[in-house]
Amino acid sequence: MKPIAMLGVAAIAAAGLAAGAWHLAAPASADTPPAAGASTPPAAEQQLFQPPPDSAIPKGPFGDEVRKGEAIFRDTGANASQFVGNDLRCSNCHLQAGRLAGASPMWGAYVSYPAYRSKNGHVNSFEERLQGCFRYSMNGKVPKLGDPVLVALESYAYFLAKGLPTGVKPEGRGFPPLSKPEMPADYARGQQVYAQHCAACHGPSGQGQSSGGKVVFPPLWGARSFNWGAGMASVKNAAEFIRANMPFGLGGTLTPQQAWDVGLFIDSQVRPQDPRFTGNVADTRKKFHDTPMSMYGTTVNGAVLGDPASTPPFGTVPNAGAGK
Amino acid sequence: MSMMGTTRERRPALGATLRRFSGWVAYGTGSAMMFAMTIAAAPAQAGDADIAAGRVIAVQGAAAGQPACAACHMADGAGQPEGGIPALAGLNAGYIRDQLTFFAEGQRTHPIMQPFAKMLTAEQRGQVAAYFASLPVPAPAESTPPPQSLLETGRRLFQDGDFRTGLLACASCHGPDGQGVGDFSPRLAGQSATYVTEQLDTWKAGNQRDPNGAFMRAESGHLSDADIAAVAAFIEVLTKGKDNKP
Repeated sequence: MKPIAMLGVAAIAAAGLAAGAWHLAAPASADTPPAAGASTPPAAEQQLFQPPPDSAIPKGPFGDEVRKGEAIFRDTGANASQFVGNDLRCSNCHLQAGRLAGASPMWGAYVSYPAYRSKNGHVNSFEERLQGCFRYSMNGKVPKLGDPVLVALESYAYFLAKGLPTGVKPEGRGFPPLSKPEMPADYARGQQVYAQHCAACHGPSGQGQSSGGKVVFPPLWGARSFNWGAGMASVKNAAEFIRANMPFGLGGTLTPQQAWDVGLFIDSQVRPQDPRFTGNVADTRKKFHDTPMSMYGTTVNGAVLGDPASTPPFGTVPNAGAGK
Repeated sequence: MSMMGTTRERRPALGATLRRFSGWVAYGTGSAMMFAMTIAAAPAQAGDADIAAGRVIAVQGAAAGQPACAACHMADGAGQPEGGIPALAGLNAGYIRDQLTFFAEGQRTHPIMQPFAKMLTAEQRGQVAAYFASLPVPAPAESTPPPQSLLETGRRLFQDGDFRTGLLACASCHGPDGQGVGDFSPRLAGQSATYVTEQLDTWKAGNQRDPNGAFMRAESGHLSDADIAAVAAFIEVLTKGKDNKP
């Protein structure tokens, strides 16, 4: 299949999010306490920024705002329902509630804005960056600048970044970069990886799973997942995240090839429409998905990804209380 | 009183229970005919007939001379919290069936459970699993509540994990109310602190416990003994949603 073969080509437009070799010792697998027989963590990991714990949240109005932000971060559908159009939470991708290095920690993001983004062609404030998360990753509605939800989230991110310098890319920001696969990423191999390592939690159809009516394992595709405009819809981003952090708690156990393959598989499924949809799939691909890392507009299993006939709508808010 | 003291004090009860149990093995109830009649009618999918067949096995033993599950896990599936014998009521049927299979095939070791699981056919394991899964989650046993500070530590670890040690929140796989997810992550709410502590200790010692145990082995490595005591205490009193089936 042509688009898949393109993945072997080095044409990665997205900005690299992290640098350095720290990711070789992914925190999730190297944090074992000495009592369990683990060796001393590598020096690089010890230098990673340590965000403050909840116990360091100050008393008073600012602390209240931080707590509110963390509550939104951990249970976005319950605490910012007016802006959420799917079954995801911020903490599904920003693991350990935005504290974990290598899983796009909020401390790394906070000190990286304002910044120019090729995605929208201008300098974005941190708040505008948060708006993007609601629009795309949460498949929701965009809170207005200054909305209490954004103020709370910004307060939480600011709190987590305490003591971190601006203007310097901190180690652990974003996802650890992943070397190109030895073989071009492959849908069929990715399907096998998914069945073996992912389906037990995320479900055979990527629909996620609930516990007592509450979504525990997030849907990875379909109407209740992130839409085509989300960062995770990029095969590169998905592969990097998966390699470092999945299976949950066992990050680093998949090979880079497996991560690329399964990232491609997941990002070749039906998901909500890109909110920037121009009315024409090919045109939308050309404008916003002109990269081998996006499968939008390509034909997979006989259907064009993004075709309105088979693509759920974007921005399906209110949530109708589904699964919450 | 130390945190671990609470748990350790309970442990001798397990040995006492097992000694009592070894006496029961000798006089298993004879219900082979009733069992054989039921199994003939059992459909392929778990249904009322499976549950009925499973009940016979659970309460009377699978055949003459065989012990009944209820001897230790009790007829209502509540287990014996003080002895570390786990509650089975309301656990996911697939989870129970898988664990019985692991015992039977030697992929999970336990001196009592392995021989018993081997006595059952695969179909019988599915039936007994369906039976215990069908039972309502029992009311929590009356016991002296643990110190509030211990419960608060346990709640925090369960709901939030600990980014400093790399511990993931228990809730991120077992659900915020500890009700589990399908056959992947078992219901924890209300499970005895003694049992939870034993399992976490097993994983922390480096054992995978069963073919699906890699996740828990990894997480247990992020728990100190004090953490285990706290999270186990919290799980035992976690009863929200106890009337709901997982």
